[in-house]
Parts: sequence; structure tokens; C-alpha cells
Amino acid sequence: MSDALQSLPRFLPELILMAALAVVIVADLLTQRRPLQNSTDLLNGITLVGLVGALVTSWQALGAGEAQSLFASMLADDGLLGVFRPIFCLTSIVVLLLGMRSKELEGVRLGEMLALLLTVTAALMWMAGSVNLVMIYLSLETVSVASYLMVGYLSSDRLSNEASLKYILFGAVSTGAMLFGLSLLYGMTGTLDLYGVRAALAEGAFGPGLLFVLILIAAGIGFKIAAAPFHFWCPDVYTGAPTPVTAFLSVGPKAAGFAVLIRFFYLGLAEPAGGGAIAPVGGADWQMLLMMLAVITMTLGNVAALLQTNVKRLLAYSSIAHAGTMLMAACVLSVEGVQAIAAYLAIYLFMNLGAFAVVILAHRVTGSFEIDSYAGFWKRSPLLTVAMGIFLFSLMGIPPFAGFLAKWYVFAAVINAGLGWLAVIGVLNAAVAAFYYVKVLRVMVIDQEIGPTPALAFSRLDLALLVVLVVPNVLGLLFWGSLDRVTEVSQTLLELG
Amino acid sequence: MESMASAAIFYGVAVLVLGSALYVVVGKNLVHSAFALVAAFFGVAVFYVYLGADFLAGAQVLIYVGGILTLLLFGVMLTNRIYNLNLRSGAIQVVPGALSAGLVFALLVWIIQSVDWGAMDAGDPGPTSESIGRLLVGDYLLPFEIASVLLLIALMGAAMLVRRRGSGSS
Repeated sequence: MSDALQSLPRFLPELILMAALAVVIVADLLTQRRPLQNSTDLLNGITLVGLVGALVTSWQALGAGEAQSLFASMLADDGLLGVFRPIFCLTSIVVLLLGMRSKELEGVRLGEMLALLLTVTAALMWMAGSVNLVMIYLSLETVSVASYLMVGYLSSDRLSNEASLKYILFGAVSTGAMLFGLSLLYGMTGTLDLYGVRAALAEGAFGPGLLFVLILIAAGIGFKIAAAPFHFWCPDVYTGAPTPVTAFLSVGPKAAGFAVLIRFFYLGLAEPAGGGAIAPVGGADWQMLLMMLAVITMTLGNVAALLQTNVKRLLAYSSIAHAGTMLMAACVLSVEGVQAIAAYLAIYLFMNLGAFAVVILAHRVTGSFEIDSYAGFWKRSPLLTVAMGIFLFSLMGIPPFAGFLAKWYVFAAVINAGLGWLAVIGVLNAAVAAFYYVKVLRVMVIDQEIGPTPALAFSRLDLALLVVLVVPNVLGLLFWGSLDRVTEVSQTLLELG
Repeated sequence: MESMASAAIFYGVAVLVLGSALYVVVGKNLVHSAFALVAAFFGVAVFYVYLGADFLAGAQVLIYVGGILTLLLFGVMLTNRIYNLNLRSGAIQVVPGALSAGLVFALLVWIIQSVDWGAMDAGDPGPTSESIGRLLVGDYLLPFEIASVLLLIALMGAAMLVRRRGSGSS
């Protein structure tokens, strides 16, 4: 019990989110009879305060104090959790603001949606902190259930329902496979604690049996990060979900999935080998497994994205491809790979949410998510076109923008680890990716629009949002400073335990 | 002699669980399938007894057989035209499905045979509820609390979906 009490100060961001959740639920009940706009403003305000509170406390906690295990070794409050917490908070804040401007969510009571957003943000933090098999499963399942509900939030919309149902079915199968894998791992090692798993695996070789178990568990994690071949849900769910929810799914759960992946493989299935490197234990070659996943995911995501005509589907396949790029960094087997993933995610947050912000703002006037509907956008709104250009060039990894930095971190880590062939496949994929990103820009700038052109008007919130998302992408080099802080902190990851 | 009888009961229950679970999947009548599920859940409770997990066995009967299944049956029975419903339970891609299922089964059998599970004799089974209770408010306090958050949003979500459908507006 005293252990739980001692853990509470290190648990502050999650506590703030849970408090905000309770307030939102009660406030939603109390304002049921009020006009919709008043009630929505109040609830948005409470949620924003909760998320900003969590962001501030998690930013302060970043790098402050020694790594420590919380709640009887359920969570590890170390550099990895420290880096991921602000990423989750920022994602949720941007998604909340996008939700206020989304046409799809206008006139809809948002109480439950905001409660779900707060819950899922806290659950992402639990995922990133888990060092116990039970905690990994439970936090992952909390994120999943909340995501299913967010995807199906527009229950009068047939596409939204269909997406939610598909998501549930795929989710049930992959978490089922993962749970079965975890139970077999528990049977092999006799412990639920990741450090205990590592110790038990170091003693005996389990070989191919362990590899099969790891494939089962990779199915659950791969589902969360949308890695092929566990990605089938992704395009349909991204298309059917309300766009702010799509934006959230493309960053939040993906980031948390990578945190779980790093913890599970780097802590539970490997031991420190000096100099920040790690060596797999238990006699299963999971590095090969991750490399195969990375190559399949990147290639499939990029090639399928070439064929898309719907911008949400395009961004779905592009997010699969980005997951593949980050998986490359996970094959590095050293702390350098972890740093590359953390840096990539921090930048990916701004570029991908930025692209979705443009999609949502454009949808307000065009009412469509087809790429063709963007024809002649340059004349309608140079501002939005330039913003989209910056986000897409950043996603491509073109030098002056932050996306280049992200790719550079990953490729440097991969080449330093002597995986030159993997880097070559990655570069080829980046070249393919340039095609479909440029295609969107070509439609916006060169193609002539057909039909009438409603004027584009931005609110102050839109402009603020665009500025917040554009600036980190443009000033990539100035961003370097805070990235150094991020990578410095993730050094502590492999020291705990 | 005693172990013979014990083994006979075990395998009898195993056949019951597998058979009724299979019926749930392939059965064409929803009500019959629901009743077959009762038998499957009950058989699993017997397995828990075999493993000396008295609390789990009780919880299995109370929650799955008593709670969830009763609700399921009510849902089925209160739905109109349930008997006319033509259930389509998969007959597409039988061969690839059977092949992959057989492959996974063979793999699992092989793994279960080849891995040293470190099994040990648990001795005489004693009551487990006290130690479970202590663990839930001790070492496993955080998972216990997170489970309650999960249940809270699941409850909210269920209410949200049902209410929206009922009112017919968004």
C-alpha cells in the first residue's frame, strides 16, 4: 500500500487526466438540458484544461529524477515513458482542437467523445509505461475499446458504423492472438514481470517455440501500429471514422504501440550488451522477425498508397508506410534505434496531424475527401495549399523540413548497425512515397477546378492551429535542440532493472 | 482407481466443451447455439476446479453462465423473427481455412510437447479467494483500477450506442 502511495507523485499526469474524466462525465450530465453550443464549449474547455495540465506536468517530469518502478513493478517511470507522455498529450490537444472545427462533429453531443479522449490518453501512457504482461494487455485493451467507440461515434453514419465493426472484429482477433501468446510466454517463464521474463529466458533456450509465441504477440502490437500483415482494418477504419478520430488513431495508438514494442522486445527479450547495445535472449531471432515486418509494411503501405483517390485512404496507407520506417529503427538493437523512433514520432506527430488539419479545413468548404475535389485549391486558398505543401514535403522527408531530420535519425541508426540493405530498401520506399504525396500537391496547384468556388474563410482558431503545426515542420533545424533533450532522456531506458 | 475416474471425468468434460463450442460456431439456430454456449462455459468451470482454482470456477459460473449468458438469451428471445433468421455461418474458403487451422493446431501441439513448462505439483488445493483479494489491493492495485476505468468507458459506450439508435437522431 505504501508503495502505491509513493508512486502517486510520479503518476501525476495520469491522475490529472482521470480527474478531468470524472469532471467531464458529471458536467455532461448537468448540462444535458442546456443549449448544445454552451454545453459543448464547457466540456471542450474542461477537456483542454485537463490535457494541458497533463502536458505541463509530463513535460516537467521529463528528465527530472531517477528512473523508478511504480505500483509494485507494474509501470516503469523512465526516459521512455517520459518521452512518450508529452507526445500523447500534444496529440490529444491537437485532436481536440481539430474536433472543434470538424464539420462531421458539428451538432453532435460530444460529452462521451471527450470522456473517451481523456481515457484513451491516459491509457496510452499506461501502455508506454507497462513492464508487466498483465498491464500491457489491459492498457492495450483500454485503448482499443475506447478507439472502437470513437470510430463509431457517428451512429447515424453508415460508414462510421461499418468502420467501427470492422475495427472490433480485427481487434478482437489480434488481441486474442496476443493474449494467447502472452499466456504461453507466462507458461514458459513462470512470471508476468518483463524483467523476470528476461531472466527466465536467459537461462534456457526455447528456440522455435518462443518464435511462434513472439509472432502471436507481434500480431497484437502490429495491429496497434498498423504494420502489415496486421493492417487490413486500417484503410477502412481511417476512411469511415470522423476525421479528427482518424488523425488521433494515426498518431496516438501508433506511438504507444511502438513504446510497447520497444519495452517488450528490448527489455523483456534482450539483455544489455554494453555500450547501449542489447543482445536477444531465449534463442529466438526476433530481429529477423522485425526486419521482415518492416520491409513488408513499408513496401505494402507505399505501393498501395499510389492507387488511392480518397485522401483519408491515402493518409492511411502513408501512415502504414511510416510505421514500416519506424520498424526499421526497431531492428537496430541498440539505444540509438530507440532514440530514432522517439525522435521520428515527435516529428511525425506534427507533420501527420498537420496534413489531417488541412483535410478537415478543406472538408468544411468542399464537403468531400476525394483528392479530385482539391483541384484548383491554389487559387482558392494559397495559405492552405502552402501549409499542405509543407506537411507533405515533411512527410516525404525533403531536407529543409523536419521530416528529413526524422528520416535521417532512422537511416543513421540503421546504417550504424550495419544493416545497409535495410537502409537501401528504406530509401527506395521513400522515393516511391514522393510520388503519391506530390500527386496531391499537383492536383491542388496545377489542376483546374470544375464548378463554383465557395470562398474559404478561416477562424482565428484555424490559423493558430496551422501555425502551431507548421512551425515545427519548417524550423526543423531549430527543433534539433529539443530533440537532443528527447534522445538524452531515452538513454536511461536500458539502465533500469 | 481414483486417478482413473478423475481422468475419465476430465476427458468427458473436454469432449463436452469442444463439442458444444463447435456447435456454437456451426449451429444454424441462434437459441440452440446460446444453450450450447452454456455447456461450454460450464465445462470450463470444471477445468478450473481441476486446477484448484476454486474462486475462478465460482466466478465463471456466476458471471458467464449466470450473468452474461442469461443476458444473451434474453437478447435472443426478445428479438423478433429470431427463429426465421437464416444464420450464415461461413462456408467460404473451407480448404484454406481448414489448412491454416490444421497448421496452427499442429504447431501448437508441437510447441506444447517440446517446451519445458516447468510444471510442478501444487499439492492439496486450498481456498484461493483470500490471496486473490490481497493481491488485488496490493501488487495488482493498478491493473485493478485500470480495469474499472475500462469497464466505465465500456458502460458509457454501450449506453451511448443504444441511446443514439433509439432516439434515431445524432
